Amino acid sequence: MSPILTFIVILVGLYGLATSKNIIKSVFCVTIIEAGVILLFLNLGNLEGGSIPILDGIVENIVDPLPQALMITTIVIGATITALALMLCIKIFHHYGSIEWKEVLGKEEK
Amino acid sequence: MERSARQGGKVVFYTPVLFVFVPILASLIIYLFKNKWVSLLVFVSQAALSVLVVLFALYLQANPDQALIVFGGWDERIGISFYNDQLSLIFIFLTIIIWWVILLYVFKENNEDNKFLFFLTFLQGIFLGLIQTNDLFNLFVFIELTTVLVTILIAYKKSGPAFRAGIYYLLVNTVGALFFLVGIILLYNVFGTINIRYLANVIPTHANTTIVKLAFVFMIGGISVKAALVPLFTWLPKAHGVAQSGISALLSGLIVKGALYAFIRMYHFMFIGAQFQVTELFFYIGLITALVGVMFAITQKDMKQILAYHTVSQVGIMMMGLSSLDSFTLYGGIFHILNHAFFKSLLFLGAGVIIHKYNTKKVGEVRGVWKAMPMLSILMIIAMLSISGAPLFNGFVSKYMIKYAIKGVWHKEALFFLVNLGTTTSFIKFSQVFFGPKPNVQKCSNPLQFVGMTLLALLCIGIGLFYQPIAEGLLSLDLSKINILDVKNWLDYAIFVGLGYLLYRFVIAKDFKIVQAIRDFKMTFETANYLFIVYLLVLFGIILL
Amino acid sequence: MIRRITLVLMLVIIFGVFVLSMIDLQSLYNTSGKDYFFANGVFETGSLNLVTGIYLDYRLFDSLFEAGILIVAVSGVMWISQHEIEEKNATFMFDKQKTPNLFVTFSRLVYPLMLGFGIYVIVNGHVSPGGGFQGGAIVATAILILYYIDINKTTDVAKILTIEKILFILIVLIGSVGLITRGEVFTNFFTLSTSTNLKSIYLIALNILIGTKVALGMVAIFTAFLKEGR
Repeated sequence: MSPILTFIVILVGLYGLATSKNIIKSVFCVTIIEAGVILLFLNLGNLEGGSIPILDGIVENIVDPLPQALMITTIVIGATITALALMLCIKIFHHYGSIEWKEVLGKEEK
Repeated sequence: MERSARQGGKVVFYTPVLFVFVPILASLIIYLFKNKWVSLLVFVSQAALSVLVVLFALYLQANPDQALIVFGGWDERIGISFYNDQLSLIFIFLTIIIWWVILLYVFKENNEDNKFLFFLTFLQGIFLGLIQTNDLFNLFVFIELTTVLVTILIAYKKSGPAFRAGIYYLLVNTVGALFFLVGIILLYNVFGTINIRYLANVIPTHANTTIVKLAFVFMIGGISVKAALVPLFTWLPKAHGVAQSGISALLSGLIVKGALYAFIRMYHFMFIGAQFQVTELFFYIGLITALVGVMFAITQKDMKQILAYHTVSQVGIMMMGLSSLDSFTLYGGIFHILNHAFFKSLLFLGAGVIIHKYNTKKVGEVRGVWKAMPMLSILMIIAMLSISGAPLFNGFVSKYMIKYAIKGVWHKEALFFLVNLGTTTSFIKFSQVFFGPKPNVQKCSNPLQFVGMTLLALLCIGIGLFYQPIAEGLLSLDLSKINILDVKNWLDYAIFVGLGYLLYRFVIAKDFKIVQAIRDFKMTFETANYLFIVYLLVLFGIILL
Repeated sequence: MIRRITLVLMLVIIFGVFVLSMIDLQSLYNTSGKDYFFANGVFETGSLNLVTGIYLDYRLFDSLFEAGILIVAVSGVMWISQHEIEEKNATFMFDKQKTPNLFVTFSRLVYPLMLGFGIYVIVNGHVSPGGGFQGGAIVATAILILYYIDINKTTDVAKILTIEKILFILIVLIGSVGLITRGEVFTNFFTLSTSTNLKSIYLIALNILIGTKVALGMVAIFTAFLKEGR
């Protein structure tokens, strides 16, 4: 059940990307998709239940530790991409005076 | 004695790691020391890489069982591994050659700009890692690193168009890579591993389930965004058009091919056992990409935009070759990747020299290049003859190999004919820069740039003439079907040039309303994402049925 | 309007396909990866926290490039944020009001606690939840609280970038020491037969390096954004 809910998060992000007219909203939608993917990984690792993967005692069953390790990397990658995208947004605003996709893409090159 | 021999063997064994880390360490040292002489370190690292790749190729030929390296010595299903075979060695050679040319081209202007060299050399290390990796998540990390580095290099000039091209590229490619990631986790939960070679063996056991098909769709969808197939190619003309010429040459020549390499790994190595019947689908995607690219290319007036749309079209031709399961056509596609890297880089670098001299990007405003820079004109003409497929040059060989597969199917042949016609027309349009009186432009020249470009031109001619021994030696492929001396091929080419000239004269030069409409077509960001969803659904529909 | 309806329709179709694959997964779920880690993780890596064991030992190669992407992104953000003369719309925000005294006092209280907690998370990454990346983010937040305390604080970003790159080279070197002692690269430099305590020296060292690197990177990115607004 929960992997399906996280996939809905991904689809909501995708809907936002296909309809947002503002550059910063698009950046946020990419962040939403990335959050959805991270939650999807963690939920799929947890399908059979179990405790956290720290074996300092008697542990019967653990959740899958590999998706969690992969997600540490993904979170860092997502954060850096968001930082880079937002810095580009600031620069676009300085150059074009607007952060709507139509106005920024429509202006001809000098 | 035996131990040192074993240690020596171990060092050569780990050469793939050196391929990745020699450029990265060189780039870090260049960044830390802001010194003109330390920047020469790029050439040292390039020379080291060239030596290493030759040694490694010989070593691998002698011991083919040492191709797989698992880091840490763990079980191959758990650890990360690198795998090298013929295909990856071809790409590594190509990478090192293209980087030599690009470094020679940009070095004089940028040797004090150590940040630029830092990003450029770091990208080389990452790209060499992308080619060799055998682990799906490692491939994702390398793809994301390539995206970030290319965004920074596109936006390096810090002009308005550079920033908007950068953010468009960044967002579209990140979405594609995230869908690739979703495909990875679906496969992991079914098979328990993310090792590509291991998955290639176990995927056939569950190939008919919805989850494996969905994983395939997501992964191919993500790769198609980076490879600029239709309808997802709109980031490419923006990105390649505004970057500085050395970077445009690098992007068109190599980085786009990285995505095609990932496609070959996914489709031909990993999912081949599943036998999804998608050969025809990818062929038509390639054909439509080629047509759309060339249609846009004919109408553009900006030199770099013409070349950028051409890259889209040539990627379509490569996809036509790569989609088939027949090895002759597949090698045609791979061969076209090599050839296109050479002549497209040469075209972009030459265009860069012209733009720098004339201070304008429009084709209509540049005249008299033949009289002003004869050497450059010869090089550019060689590249144009190669891209349009003239016999004696390398484009002819690979296009013939791809055309061979569609012999007899008349509608495919007709559409391929249109693609070639369009290519010839647009280069006739481009070649009008050569005519005309000698202009008075400043006499700045940078001989180092010409070294790299001449090397590429020589490679174009060399492969065009000696394709048979090269193919037999490197790929053990029999290319005796292709005959340069066959009059029919020369006649075909002459027909193309003739029709192309007529098309140009009576249709394009008049600049009809429809030509202007196509030129001004801009796709918004929302439409691009909308089309991505459409693409995923089409892919999934074909696989299910 | 038509476009929105077709968009929602297509997303619903993709959702339907995903639900079908989840139903498939009920019967196909493969736990061989998890079983391997459960059985052999502690012995082979020396870490009780299996996730740390994975990203510092089995998949160290990935973590190296995660550190690499931080370097690249920080340098890229720094480069892009330097101002050029032609920008027309750049209005610099002046500090409109002084930070309230309540914030300043509480920040002074919270700063050493957060710093301590961050260092605890970094160093104990192999026995409790945490590790280099997580702890590094906490330490970065702690350092950023200093901006509340002293709003005119300036940071020498170039020095931060230099230290970051030296740390990256150190991480790669420590990862490669295993080639000499064990014959395998990018793994623990103690051999498999040593005790868990000795193996954790490697884990603690790498965690501290990675944590410092991540903290410096995040501080540099935040400083770049703050400078944009000044």
